[in-house]
Amino acid sequence: MFIHVFIYRFKCLIRDRQMVFWTLLFPLLLATFFYMAFINLNSDETFRPIHAGVISNAAYQQDQSFRSVLTDVSKGEDRLFNLKVASSKEKADQWLKSNRIQGYYFISGKELHLTVKGSGMDQSIMKSFADQYRHDHIAVEDILQTNPLALNHGLMADVSNHQSFVKETSGGSAEPNNILNYFYSLIAMACLYGSFWGMKEIIDIQADLSDRAARINVAPIHKLNAFLAGSCAALVILFTEILILLAYLHFGLKINFGNRAGYVLLTAFIGSVLGLSFGAFVSAAVKKGEGVKTAILMAVSMGGSFLSGMMVMNMKYLVAEYVPLLAWINPVNLLTDAFYSLYYYDSLQRYALNMGMMCAFIVLFCAGTYQIVRRWNYASL
Amino acid sequence: MIIQVKNLVKRYGDLVALDHLSFNVKEGEIVGLLGPNGSGKSTAIHCILSLLKYDKGDIEIFGKKMTPDAYDVKRDIGLVMQNVAVFDELTVYENINYFCGLYVRDRAERKRLVDEAIAFVELEAFKKFYPKKLSGGLLRRLNIACGIAHKPKLIILDEPTVAVDPQSRNKILEGIEHLNAQGATIVYTSHYMEEVEQICSRIVIIDKGRVIASGTKEELKAMITLGEKITVEVFTIEEDQLRVLREQPGIMSVDYVSKQLIIKSDKGNNNLEIVLEFLKANHIGFGRIYSELPTLNDVFLEITGKQLRD
Repeated sequence: MFIHVFIYRFKCLIRDRQMVFWTLLFPLLLATFFYMAFINLNSDETFRPIHAGVISNAAYQQDQSFRSVLTDVSKGEDRLFNLKVASSKEKADQWLKSNRIQGYYFISGKELHLTVKGSGMDQSIMKSFADQYRHDHIAVEDILQTNPLALNHGLMADVSNHQSFVKETSGGSAEPNNILNYFYSLIAMACLYGSFWGMKEIIDIQADLSDRAARINVAPIHKLNAFLAGSCAALVILFTEILILLAYLHFGLKINFGNRAGYVLLTAFIGSVLGLSFGAFVSAAVKKGEGVKTAILMAVSMGGSFLSGMMVMNMKYLVAEYVPLLAWINPVNLLTDAFYSLYYYDSLQRYALNMGMMCAFIVLFCAGTYQIVRRWNYASL
Repeated sequence: MIIQVKNLVKRYGDLVALDHLSFNVKEGEIVGLLGPNGSGKSTAIHCILSLLKYDKGDIEIFGKKMTPDAYDVKRDIGLVMQNVAVFDELTVYENINYFCGLYVRDRAERKRLVDEAIAFVELEAFKKFYPKKLSGGLLRRLNIACGIAHKPKLIILDEPTVAVDPQSRNKILEGIEHLNAQGATIVYTSHYMEEVEQICSRIVIIDKGRVIASGTKEELKAMITLGEKITVEVFTIEEDQLRVLREQPGIMSVDYVSKQLIIKSDKGNNNLEIVLEFLKANHIGFGRIYSELPTLNDVFLEITGKQLRD
């Protein structure tokens, strides 16, 4: 009997085109749009050498140390500047005007001058470079006046050796990646969309919600058996959909999930169970029509996705900072965070915390649904 | 006794939907539960099937107390709902097979029963159709097939002909008689008195959650004083003449509406002759004449003072 119900529920669910669209095709489409929108986001954040100029006048030719420093920072792969040497101020101004350079240095007497057009990150870096050079230059001059032999004792090496008194430690071995959160929250949203499968199961088993369910309730089959068989069919479909989405993200869009594939699959499975049980619980508890149930599930899925950073990434951090409770009761956020923990942290502590919370929610939703569904007959139909 | 309902009470807040309802159904009968919309027919059916909680009363089916987990009782019951209760995502064959499979485990047996049910409702040409592709009448037939495919001993049909075209309605009614002939006991609820009169061997009339009369159609009609309704097309008649007509022996009431003289008489003989002689004696010109025996609506009207479809 279980297999009979399972097979037919599977057929019913898989042939529901609208549901398949929202739970499979929509996340796939959204993932593709995310990919197209965010593909350059990381590359925008990588540093590119600044187009800088310098006027090669007599003072510049005489200032051996500045020439040396400027040449040093303008060579190699991780150079600071793409340096262009102008023969005159007019030439440098012309380059600046036509945006071929972001600014130019020139030396007048012993003074280092910087001319830039407008303001921005590149201009700030050029100014910082000039300030640092002036600072180091004056320091060397002062030291040499009091101790001329300092040069022989590695003064230049000491000056160029900047020490930081703040130690940076990384949470994991993976590179921080801003766009991953968008895709992780998308998977979480797809899992929560599985709540619609849960709703369908409840509507087709509760006699006060549909005539089909009433017909099943008068048949000689244990109601919970029928519900369990249907829910298993829904879970198989939902989990398969999530696996397809994961495969598309990983193999198609090259989204990095870290190196712990087993845990990623476990998270996807728990996410599927969470979505399904959430939908079943809301549908059983809310004694309103299908439209109201759908609206509630949609609002929670989309609202949860928004709060976990699917639309605005900073939202996740704002919620975590200012309303941490909301972050812990938002199932989309728990799932998103579980995926990110797997990717970023070497330790499984944070991942386990997220998984624990999700399992607690599943137990809560299943227990609540059981209390409602186990009722044999109804006050009204 | 197939069904025995005793003092069934069902309340929705202050509203008493079933007010000490009692009736029984014997093996081989087609029992019609007749009553206007909202009289409590469907509520009674849902209580009998243990879908609804009730406040008081006893329900036995096949001599056993009916409870939600009485699987051995449920196994022999077939239900055809008022609304079409099938899955849009399953074909005609799959729908019937699914519901039949809730009762019959053996695959070969189930296949035979499903084929028989499809043949019974004449849906052979539509086996692979999805419900959305079926007309209203065909959909109703599918609904019936889903409820009867497992060959139940007791079939409960809750207004199965609502919104069905006359041709499909006739097929459904013929089918019900055929199922009864094959040995099934039928409980048929409807507010269409013609249908109930046509197929039911016994009728239970329900109003405001109570049984107000029950018996065969002949027994029910015998309960009332009305014997015959005579309608005569009369072009003109004086008020005095109407008064004299009302005083004739056997005449219960006389109304003159839209040139139609409507006379209700008691169960005596020669009522028509008395009317015609009166018209001739008073030189009252008349056209067509109709004479009708009382209907179940007349029974309902006389007992409750209102029309069955009010």
